[in-house]
Amino acid sequence: MFLGRVIGEVWATQKNPDLNGLRLLVIEALDERSDPGAPKVTPVVAADPIGAGIGEQVLVAFGKAARVACGGDGDYAYEAAVVGIVDDFDVPGAPDSWRADAPRLGATPEGGRA
Amino acid sequence: MHICTVIGNVWATQKEATLGGLRLLVVRPFTTDGDGSAETMVAVDTVSAGVGERVLVVHGRAARHAIGKGHDIGFQTAIVGVIDSMELEGGRIVGQTAENDRSTGGAN
Repeated sequence: MFLGRVIGEVWATQKNPDLNGLRLLVIEALDERSDPGAPKVTPVVAADPIGAGIGEQVLVAFGKAARVACGGDGDYAYEAAVVGIVDDFDVPGAPDSWRADAPRLGATPEGGRA
Repeated sequence: MHICTVIGNVWATQKEATLGGLRLLVVRPFTTDGDGSAETMVAVDTVSAGVGERVLVVHGRAARHAIGKGHDIGFQTAIVGVIDSMELEGGRIVGQTAENDRSTGGAN
């Protein structure tokens, strides 16, 4: 499982039937590579059964955990899923880029949480 | 699951028996600053993808399931979808092929 940020959404018509009706999000891992000027990043595409939005920070699981999150442990033609939307995290020394979208998370006073 | 661009075909006559009849494509992982990861991978094509197209690539059990020859197969990477388009932050639209990429003018 990793901590990531949703950076986009993918649409595909010609695809494996297992992907029908699934929302597919493009997710960039939160790590040193997301710093400005850092080497380019290969994003991950994950099924989203819980409704995350672009800019939100999420928990992404792989393998059996992802299959269970999408409603079962059968065989599916995908192996990554969003399993949580992050409200907040505390990682001392985390790069500023990790927090760049924090105000969009709805955890600010304007978001009604304070 | 990763986004990749199909960059070519591979043919092999002398191969592991479970790989018979599979179409093998060479793909290059998509990166957020363009198309160009330095590494490439070989993936089994299950959706009739073509060279130049952006595709969805899965690994491991999901790939063997998509290939549809049971789980005892000597391969672990498969193409499961051809991307129509992809919308990224800042109004960037990534198309099915590089020629269809555009920006809707948002701050990028």
